[in-house]
Order: sequence, then C-alpha cells, then structure tokens
Amino acid sequence: MNVSTRWLKDMVPGLSGSPKELAEHLALRGAPVEEITSPGEALGDIVVGKVVTAGQHPNADRLSLCEVDGGDGVVQVVCGAPNVKAGSFYPFAPVGSVLPGDFKIKKAKIRGEVSQGMLCSSKELGLGTDHEGILEIHGDFTPGQSFVDALGLGDATLDVEITANRGDLLSHAGVARELASEGDGRVVFPDFPDAIELAPEYVVDAKEAVAGEVSIRIDDPDLCSRYLGAVIRGVAIGPSPAWLQERLRGAGSRPINNVVDATNYVMLEMGQPLHAFDLDQLAGSSIVVRRAGKDESKFTTLDDEDRTLTDDMLMICDAGGPVAIAGVMGGQNSEVEEATRDVLLECAHFDPKSIRSTRKALGMSTDASYRFERGVDPEGMQIALERCAALIIATAGGELDGPVLDCSPHPFEAQVVDLRLSRVHRLLGIPFDARYVTRLLEPLGFTVGGETDGVLHVRVPGYRSYDVTREVDLIEEVARTHGYDAFPSDLRPSRPGTVPDHPLFQLEDRIRAALVGQGLFETQTPAFAPANEGDVEVANPLATTEPVMRVALLPSLVRRLEYNLARGNRDVRLFEIGTSFSRTASGCPPHEETHLAAIVTGRRTPPHWSVADEALSIWDLKGLFAEMLETAYHGGARLLPGSEVPASTSEPVRGLASRLDPDRSLVAVSDDGSVIGWGGRMADGAVDTPPWAGDVFTFELRLPDEPRPAPVATYDPLPHYPAVERDLALVVPDALPVGDVDDVVRTTAGRELEALEIFDVYTGEGVPEGTRSVAVRLRFRSAKGTLKDKAVDRSVGKVLQRLEEELGVKARG
Amino acid sequence: MTDDTPVVALGALEAQALEAIASAEDRDALEHVRVDFLGRSEGRISAVLRGLGQLPPEDRPKVGQEANRVKGVVAAALEARSSELAGGSEAPAVDLTLPARRRWKGGLHPITQAVNDIWHIFRDLGFTRARGPEADTEWYNFEALNTPLDHPAADEQDTLYLVDSVLLRSHTSPVQMRTMEKHDPPIRIIAPGWVYRRDTYDATHTPAFMQIEGLVIDEDVTFVDFKATLGEFARRYWGPDTQVRFRPSFFPFTEPSAEVDVKRVITRPDGTRVETDWLEIMGAGMVDPNVIENAGYDAEKYTGWAFGMGPARIAMLKHGVDDLRTFFDNDVRFLAQFAS
Repeated sequence: MNVSTRWLKDMVPGLSGSPKELAEHLALRGAPVEEITSPGEALGDIVVGKVVTAGQHPNADRLSLCEVDGGDGVVQVVCGAPNVKAGSFYPFAPVGSVLPGDFKIKKAKIRGEVSQGMLCSSKELGLGTDHEGILEIHGDFTPGQSFVDALGLGDATLDVEITANRGDLLSHAGVARELASEGDGRVVFPDFPDAIELAPEYVVDAKEAVAGEVSIRIDDPDLCSRYLGAVIRGVAIGPSPAWLQERLRGAGSRPINNVVDATNYVMLEMGQPLHAFDLDQLAGSSIVVRRAGKDESKFTTLDDEDRTLTDDMLMICDAGGPVAIAGVMGGQNSEVEEATRDVLLECAHFDPKSIRSTRKALGMSTDASYRFERGVDPEGMQIALERCAALIIATAGGELDGPVLDCSPHPFEAQVVDLRLSRVHRLLGIPFDARYVTRLLEPLGFTVGGETDGVLHVRVPGYRSYDVTREVDLIEEVARTHGYDAFPSDLRPSRPGTVPDHPLFQLEDRIRAALVGQGLFETQTPAFAPANEGDVEVANPLATTEPVMRVALLPSLVRRLEYNLARGNRDVRLFEIGTSFSRTASGCPPHEETHLAAIVTGRRTPPHWSVADEALSIWDLKGLFAEMLETAYHGGARLLPGSEVPASTSEPVRGLASRLDPDRSLVAVSDDGSVIGWGGRMADGAVDTPPWAGDVFTFELRLPDEPRPAPVATYDPLPHYPAVERDLALVVPDALPVGDVDDVVRTTAGRELEALEIFDVYTGEGVPEGTRSVAVRLRFRSAKGTLKDKAVDRSVGKVLQRLEEELGVKARG
Repeated sequence: MTDDTPVVALGALEAQALEAIASAEDRDALEHVRVDFLGRSEGRISAVLRGLGQLPPEDRPKVGQEANRVKGVVAAALEARSSELAGGSEAPAVDLTLPARRRWKGGLHPITQAVNDIWHIFRDLGFTRARGPEADTEWYNFEALNTPLDHPAADEQDTLYLVDSVLLRSHTSPVQMRTMEKHDPPIRIIAPGWVYRRDTYDATHTPAFMQIEGLVIDEDVTFVDFKATLGEFARRYWGPDTQVRFRPSFFPFTEPSAEVDVKRVITRPDGTRVETDWLEIMGAGMVDPNVIENAGYDAEKYTGWAFGMGPARIAMLKHGVDDLRTFFDNDVRFLAQFAS
C-alpha cells in the first residue's frame, strides 16, 4: 500500500515527523515500511518551460530548434524529441541545473546552433522509463515555476507492508488511525475545494430499491449484503484538478479522468472501492446483483481482456446482462468515457470469500478485489458514497439526481466483544486497568461501552469487524498499542516439557559426529529430483526437470560429487541425512523415511612426504557402512554381498542398486529380512568423472524411525590368566566366502576362543590355482586358569577337522 | 659328571656372549645375540637355568647363583652396547619442522551448525526436539493452525502440492499440532526441519529450506515469558550486548503476533565497536486459542507461545555468505571453510 505522507498529515492534525520517523512509528504498530520514495527530491533545479516556437534545426533533420520560456527570459534550445510543439509545457533544465545522476546542464553548441538548457523526458528526471519523447505536462502553468510544485512531486510515498488480517490499513484513514496518537489523537476527513454540501435522501429496501426509472436489486444477498447507488447527471469528463492529481500520484496512483479519479481518491482515503457506470449504457437503467448465467460465459473487462465466467461468480448486471464483475473490475460495455454525461455511482459490500474465489479463478487481482478480499468497512459506505459524489460534482460538475438507492438485505450490526481484564493479565503477564485499556482502544475506533466486574464491553468498529471478533483479538490490540517493547522481559520459572528429545535427532547427532570424525563433509540438498528418481509427484512443480520427490539421497550426492570433480576437487567425501519419499495409497501422504547416504573418492589420507598415496578402497567403504549400521541398529542388521539382494526390494531402490559394480556391492539387511541399505563401488560410467578421478564408493542406509538406545554395557571382568595364540594358514577355494570359514571356526573352537583375526590373504606361489591362503590368528583364553597347550591343540584340531568336513578347507602343508 | 662342569660351561658362555656383544655392529645383530643367549625358549643361558632341576639338589644353589650372575652381566652388556649403537650411529636428529601426518578433516554443513548452535541454547533453556512429516495434509499445515484456506493469509506462502489436500509443509508449524496431539502439557519443544515453498532459486530464496519451530504450552505462560525467553536466546546467540525488538505482526496461528529483530554489536578489526541495523530473525507470538483448542487442550487453562526462524538466513548473516544457493552447491572448498 502506497501512502502519501502529505495526505496522512492532512488527516491527522498535529502529526509531524519526517517520512523516516513516520515509517518507524508504523513498524512498531505492525505495518513496516519497505521503501520511502520522494521523486521530487532530486529535481529542485527543474522548472516548467513553455516552448514558444519550435522549428527545424538548419543542420540536422532529426533535431528541432526551439525558443523556450524558462521564466528567466526566452532562450534557444536544441531538442531531439519528436513530440516537441509550440505552446506546450515541459520540464526544463536551465543552464547550471543538475539532473538526477549528477548530470550538469551546460551551454552547448549542437550542430552549429547554441543550446541553453534541456527539455526533459520522464526517464531523464527519474520519474519513469519513457524515453520516447519529452514529458509534456498539461495544465495552467507559469513558465519558470518549480516543476516539483507544478506536479506536486514534493510528496514522500511510504510503501507500507499490510498483513493479511488488516484490510482496514489499505486506506489512508486506516494508517492515519494508527498514527493518531502521534498527532492530536484525531483523524479528520478534509473538505474538498469547491465542494458543496450534499444531504441526499435514501430509498432503502431489502430486495429492490427503486427511484424513478432507476432500480437496484440484489438476487444473491449472501454474496452482497448492501448495494448503494447514486445517480449524477450532467458531468463533464476531463482531467482532475492539480491538487487531486497530486494526491493520487503521492499515493502511487495514476490520474485518469475526474470521475474515475474521484472513485480512486475515496478508495485510497477510506478503503471503499467504488465504481462509476455510464448510466446511458445500463439497459433499463437497472442494476441486478446476481451470479453469472449459464449463457453468460463471455465478458470483456475494461482492460480489454476477454474473461470466461462461471455461474458461481457474482456479477453486476443490467437488464440485459453483466456490466461488471462484482468487486473485481468493471466491464467495457458500461465504462465511463469522454462522452459520458450521466453516471451511476456504485458503493457496495461483497462477501470476501466470493470475491477471492472469483478473482483467483480469473487469475487477476485488482485494487478493488484486494480490498474486498481483506474486508471493507461496512459502516463507512454511506460516507464513502457521499464523499465520492461530492468530489465528482466538484471536479466534473453535474448534480445528484433523486435519492440514493440503498438495497440492503443484510444491514451491518456491530459486534460487542467482552474483554476480561483478568484474561488480559493472564495472557500478557502484567495487569492493565479499565481506564488505561479504554485509552488504548478508543483512538483505534473501539468504543468501550462500560465495565461490569472487570469485564469491558467493547464495540468493534466496522473496519475492524473482520480481524477483531474474539477477546484475544482485543488483547492483541492492547498489547500492540501499549507497545511490545514496554513489556518487561524477565525470565520466570518454567516447567520442563513432557516431550522426550526425539531419538532420531540423537542418532543423527551421533552419525554426524562419527562421519565428520572420519573426514567426511555433510551436504544439504533439496529433495526435488528428476522423474526417474522417485514416484511421488509434485502437482505444481517449480521446474519440469525436477517433478518428483526423491526416494533416495544417492543420486543427489552423485551430482554433488560430479560438481566437485568438475571443479578439480580430487578428494571428495560427502554425506547427507535427508528424507526419502515413496508412494502409498492414492490420495494419502507419501511414506517418509530418514536416510543416510555417503559418497567418497580420492585418497585414504592427506598426502604425506613419508608415505606413498593410497586410494580409498571397497574396504574403507565397507568399514564406514558397517560402522554406521552398528550405530543405527546396534547389531540388529548385517551386511551381505550384493549378490544376495532379496527379491522383495522396491523398484526405485533396485534401480539405484543397479548403479553399483555387482562384484563390489553390499546390502544391509535387518533382522526381519528387509533391505535397509545398499552400497559399494559405483559401476564404471555410473558417475560422470574426469579421467584422473579414482573409484567412487557409496552407501545409503535407511535410519530407524524410532531408534532404540544402545544396549547398556555390562561389565566383563578383565582376564587373570594369559592367552594362547595359534596361527593357521588355510587354503580356501576362491568360490568359498571367507565369511563361511569364519562362521565354522567360531562355532567350533569352543568357549575359550577369545578372538579371531584374519591377518593375511595370499595368492600366488605355493598356493594351488583357484584357492587363497587365508592366515587366521586364533586367541584362546580361559577365565579359570592358564590354558594347557594340549587343550588348545585339541580345539584347533577340532576346528581343522570341521573345516575339512564341512567346507573342504585344509591347513597349508 | 663333575661338580664344576655347569659352572665352567657358564664361564665359557659368558665369554662368548660378551665377545658377540662387542662385535655386534647394529641393533639387529645385537638382537640375534640376545635371542641366542637369553632367549626364553632357545637361549643358551636360559637353558642352563631351565636345566637346574636335573642337577643334584646340593649343586643347584651354586649353579643357580652363577647362572643368574652371568645372565645379569650379559644383560647389562647388551644394554650398554645397545645405547652405544644408538648414540654411536650418529643418526641425524628428526627434523620436526617437517609437516605432520594428519587425517582428513570433515565438517558439518554450516546450516546444520546453525541449527545445532540454536538447539544447544534452547536445550539449556529446557527444550527438547520434536519432528513431523515433511509431506502433510492441509489440515495440519493450515486449518489446524487457524488458517482457513479461503483466507488471504493462506496465499502468503505459495504451497507445493502432491495430491488434493496433501502438500509439502510450507513451514514447520504442523509439528506444533502433531506434538500436542501426542503429548500433554507442559510442552517445551523446538522442531528443526525442511520446509517447501514454490519459490524460484535466487540469492535469498530456495524452494526447500530449513526452519526451526518452537512451541511452549503450559499454565500461566505469558507474553512476558515469551519476550524474556526469546530475548535470552538472542543474547546467548549473538552476544550479551545484543538488542532485541518485538514488532507487532500477523500470523494466523499466533495472537498477539510479533516479528523479532536484533541489533548486534560487532567489533571491527581496529577494535571499534559498531551497531548493525535491525535484522529480522523470526516470526513469533502467543499461540492462538483456536490452535490450543484444536489440539484438544483447554484454552482457558493453557496458554503458550511459538516461533519460527530460518537457520540458513542466520548462517548467512553469521558467516557473510551472500547467496543462499552456495549452501546447496556443497563444494568441498566451501564446506571446508566451516570445518572446525
């Protein structure tokens, strides 16, 4: 909302303060000012110039040679604009003046002719972008008078941000009420110059108001509670007087003609949108407020746009059909034009929700619909109509013909809201007394009708009837006008809540700490993904390239890795914790899981002069993966070679797993048999890598929704007796997983087996083709005493026997 | 068998050992000598000691004493030669100005760091963390929060929908209702999480971003507590000199509503201290009674306050990052700047 500071000061007697100070006051009332503009500020040197003669420049086809009266005598000026003509007024920058952008005007010779000053375009003055020609100004001016005064550009405009609940602030009166306490505490509506006092009669009817040949009928009283119409005959359409144009410009509105300007003025002043119809164009001189008929789907609004109507849209019609979209925009067929003599002035009240759904369906928003949606003062309609009529008569002539027609099916009834002072105290934390509360509320238009037992009966004015309907709404007004900063800020005792810290956040904390400790960087990426990376579609996606929510994090991480590699970052270790979305029953929210994914490539450790570089390998990946699995599931899940992916795995996950090297992939399977993660070496070609990049390893793990706490550690007494170690070299066929050997050893070696370590895997000389020599160190220990060699030998013998029987694995000879 | 044999043999072993020690040229050779004479299983002097049991009882003390003496002499000689070799080899001193051998450094994403810093302050103020789904229904995102869908307030956030009435939450406020449904008062939580809006990417907007919700519900929670707690947070986060300003505003789910601004004091490199402009850091307010009723609580008995803030914006201000999109590029050179 653009607010003119001059206008505000006219409405609030005693209001002083710079635009910046006013902006500060408004911010502390809940209406922050985004920008202050004062276009006239840099134009102090510019005067109104009158072009006395305009002729062809003797040496240039496109230039004119003009004689300009800039108030200081007539001077010769060379002008390049095509629209310069003798007798017209333009902004004129005399020699020695300075234009915005510190552009100094000097006496110059252009193509042999002296030029003493410059006629300006709106762009040169910083008033617009029009550079096609110089800015012709219309009106009665004296050459040499200040251009800023002539056009009323001395005003400062505040761009005030109005929250959705405060439709009443979409007017100068509303903003003035918030500032009243900075002035004399009153808001006044200034008289118009040359206005006559109007005291019209009203013809009131709940269904149809008729006066002479003119009639107003409301067929849809739920969507239009009241419609006022005034007939003004004998207007002469023309430009508005300077003061009115200045007001409109100061409020960011463009003057059009005296009748339209009058409606805009009153809308900007009081927030009530008004509309003037050309009465001659209204068939039957009648207004019918009803929904669009089935056969009335085509309608042209006064902006020349063809609109498609539906039968739930409220229309203003004449005897023949629609002439305006109620509360949104008038029709071309009844528009006020230069030839218009008689007008019907509309001042109506429409249902905010109906206006909102209509203008949304039509994909448009106007000054009128914006205000109706947020609520227009139902108590101000009569004043608005009369002020507008008076202004039209003052600026366009004509007179009121007959009484005002007032079709009023649902007259407004003000609400009285009870306000308990005890509740004010309870919510705001400090006590307020009745007198002080009254003093806070009344300048805003509330009327405190009395107090019984600490309860105030507060009458809510029409313009606040939308956002103030409950006690708490009044309490906010008390807090706001008392001033938030005036409340104390002392910490008082509080009770702890009943909500436990969510265990998944705690797991995420542990995972982040562990992976950062392992040298990984955490990433964050938005969850939007290309169509093949998920099955949850966004109905109104921002980008057609990312129309779904991702089912896995891995593809986003791959893109982040590629981004890094493309920038020459060779050692890249990333992880992310994020949400995975997958489709459920139609119409239901999708299934969500929290996933952890990591991707690593490059060297195992930072380069060091003492050792050769070593690349990350599948074993590093398996280590990370296993550690995270343990952190998240505490032994409730295990890693298997990827060839063992259960068939139950969902499609999207299978698609992702297929990007892994099948010989170097792992799956994490929980104890209930479901796949909860996968990882391994990215297949060749699955990542867009530069030639110098090494292997890329990755894993993705679903985190439990409600992680269990880590099991409590139980104390195991430290051993008193020495351990005995035995090393075995086992010949294991290539096709036999060492994991199987491990299982057999552990289950056979007996209770005294304390540890099993595989410390070498060797192929080559001395080892038969198709087998590996796996060196295993077994550590035995008893809690009861020192183990005897013989007992250990017996255990080892049993292990070797079982290995041979079950797996055909022998010790190396 | 003579009485003297073991003792004589020990004397010879001593001589051989000392000679071998003297002629050992490096530590490896010396180690061989040690194993040869004193090794536990194969060592020659050790063997004598192990064999004591086979001697006649009357010879055992004498031989034992001698064996232990020889063992001590040899051990001392080994020690002496060992340090001689260490000193005598004149190995150059280690040049400790050479670079250390380190491990890779990782780091938390700067937005996570901001979330954690904020969380740690609220944890100290008695809060716990709650969470809720990122895809939610219109009820939780709007209607339960006193925001009718046909009110202009529902337009202020351009919402991304999945299917009819199911959307990507446009703020973390749905967690308010989801938490209150599951738990009884007192409630004292924050809820960090992703939210989604139909904003195109630019320097200050991304269609997905982190938000932190806060909610307090209890008997006798007032506007004074609201101001005091958030003021306390701001001073703990930005420093004790931070000024905090509460401005009236509008959110459908709070009343009274406020925008919270801070004015920080920063110390320039030359030591001068300057105040920043007011920076908007969060939207907040007293929980609207309709929201409390929607949660099934008695709004006469319970009051509360809530807030929502953007850790990404706070991280931008803190680190001087001028484009939000940088956070999502995840260039490791960028991430490494925030590794601590």
